[in-house]
Amino acid sequence: MYSKHTKKRQADFQVIARWVGEGERVLDLGCGRGILLEYLKQTKGVYGVGVDIDFDKILSCVKRGVPVYQGDVHEVLGSFQDNAFDRVIISRTVDQFEDPDATLHEGLRVGKRVTVGFVNHAYWKNRINAAFLGRRILNEVYPDPWYASLPANPFSVVEFEDYCKVKNISIGNKVYLAGDWRSERALLPNLLAGYAIYDLSKAG
Amino acid sequence: MVESQDFVSLERFQFESGGSIPELRLRYETYGHLNAAKDNAILICHALTGDHHCAGVYSMDERKQGWWNFMVGPGKPINSSEYFVICTNALGGCQGSSGPGSINPETGKPYNLDFPKLTVRDMVRAQTLLLDSLGIDRLHAVVGGSMGGMQTLQWAIDYPERVGRYIALACGARHTAQAIAFNDTGRQAIITDPGWQQGHYTADAGPGQGMAVARMMAHITYLSDVGMQSKFGRRRRSSAKEHFDVEFEVESYLRYQGQRFVTRFDANSYLYLTKALDRFDLHGPESLDATLSAVTAPGLVVGFTSDWLYPPQGNRELVEALLRIGKDASYAELAMDYGHDSFLVRAPKLYKLIRNFLQR
Repeated sequence: MYSKHTKKRQADFQVIARWVGEGERVLDLGCGRGILLEYLKQTKGVYGVGVDIDFDKILSCVKRGVPVYQGDVHEVLGSFQDNAFDRVIISRTVDQFEDPDATLHEGLRVGKRVTVGFVNHAYWKNRINAAFLGRRILNEVYPDPWYASLPANPFSVVEFEDYCKVKNISIGNKVYLAGDWRSERALLPNLLAGYAIYDLSKAG
Repeated sequence: MVESQDFVSLERFQFESGGSIPELRLRYETYGHLNAAKDNAILICHALTGDHHCAGVYSMDERKQGWWNFMVGPGKPINSSEYFVICTNALGGCQGSSGPGSINPETGKPYNLDFPKLTVRDMVRAQTLLLDSLGIDRLHAVVGGSMGGMQTLQWAIDYPERVGRYIALACGARHTAQAIAFNDTGRQAIITDPGWQQGHYTADAGPGQGMAVARMMAHITYLSDVGMQSKFGRRRRSSAKEHFDVEFEVESYLRYQGQRFVTRFDANSYLYLTKALDRFDLHGPESLDATLSAVTAPGLVVGFTSDWLYPPQGNRELVEALLRIGKDASYAELAMDYGHDSFLVRAPKLYKLIRNFLQR
């Protein structure tokens, strides 16, 4: 039923679902077709709201019965009061934010926690692509060549952790997934993790 | 083929303003069949100068179909094979429902300006009486655009137990200063027309010029700059002789719209309805969040990028407030060039959205 591609797309779902508490209020920034929110609604009974810029994604969310807001991720955060949500989820979208620092900061204001999942661009295979082949990644997750892709801002596990330290954001849970984006591993994450998921909160 | 019906309530109808009329009449049309459980009804609320005739034709040789014929009918997004669709002429209107032009049974003369001050809430309450008479406790959905969107929101706020879901298109929580300004300019064109006679005009001599100008101006606000440019551009007509004859196609179009409006709409109704819209304000009496807290049904609000009368921001604001207070609400935005009228034109994306929401 699920293709390998689908599995990869949903790589962080299991981890995020583990962290989400029963009945939480969840805001998913860049929610796509609303699959994660539908899953969290079914398994955790969350009140979940998605945000996406693309009308076709909105259509799918509406069909799934997932409340969704079509608009700019950063702009919509401004309409919510402090701690309006228990959790703001940013799954595989942070590298496309125009101003990642400002949006993460807003996310931490609106959400008690922010869950961020991203591709580690320092993963060894990605390094080989860049260093030896001189090419950007082209695989089932990034199927489009550069000229057909959204502008992205790739970064690595250590760069993200540096950022959190500098901005005084506390990292609660974290999980590194191996290159298959399935098995969890802790060793040399910046080199060996293909994907990383963090649970962040305001340092307090 | 369809035909309209009249609902008449002989009980005195009280308006929010305190006024009342001795009997209430609502003209309406239905499409499809009410099921045995009476839970498949969808109410459609029309825009300012719309009417109860939203789908089909009255006779086989009639070319003009109902105003939302793309949207409503067998197999259409609001599928009358599945749902029992009801559309009423709004209270205060002039196509068969009680309004300023109706005869007051107590005097035998038209109400004219004796018709009580009207609100969107009054329009909605009148519709509940029709539903009572049809034995419908709860609607599967309420759907409307523009003034119809405001009624839809009012439904969700005032009668949460009777609304299964709602779809409000091209609307907002209240008029902007600009929207009020346009409405009042239209009203002034009518009121200052000598034919208006303090509202006591007769059918064959009314404020025709004022109505036509009001309509021409309002019509501009329903379109968009880009839409008008692509529809008319600077195209000219060859027939212009005198200096101020119709010269450009856009002039011809607007004058035609203005003239047609004089014959199909009542001036006092226009004054009453536009006032009701200007006064509509979900931010009051306390705040938008407080007003919307009564809503229980899931909602869908749709904005249109080129709508400068009820711009996307006003539509977004509704959903932002609903989400802030933990309601099930969605906002979608369609990039279309038809301005405020976008919700009335052929738009497959909108059809899909509405279909998805009604079936979820």
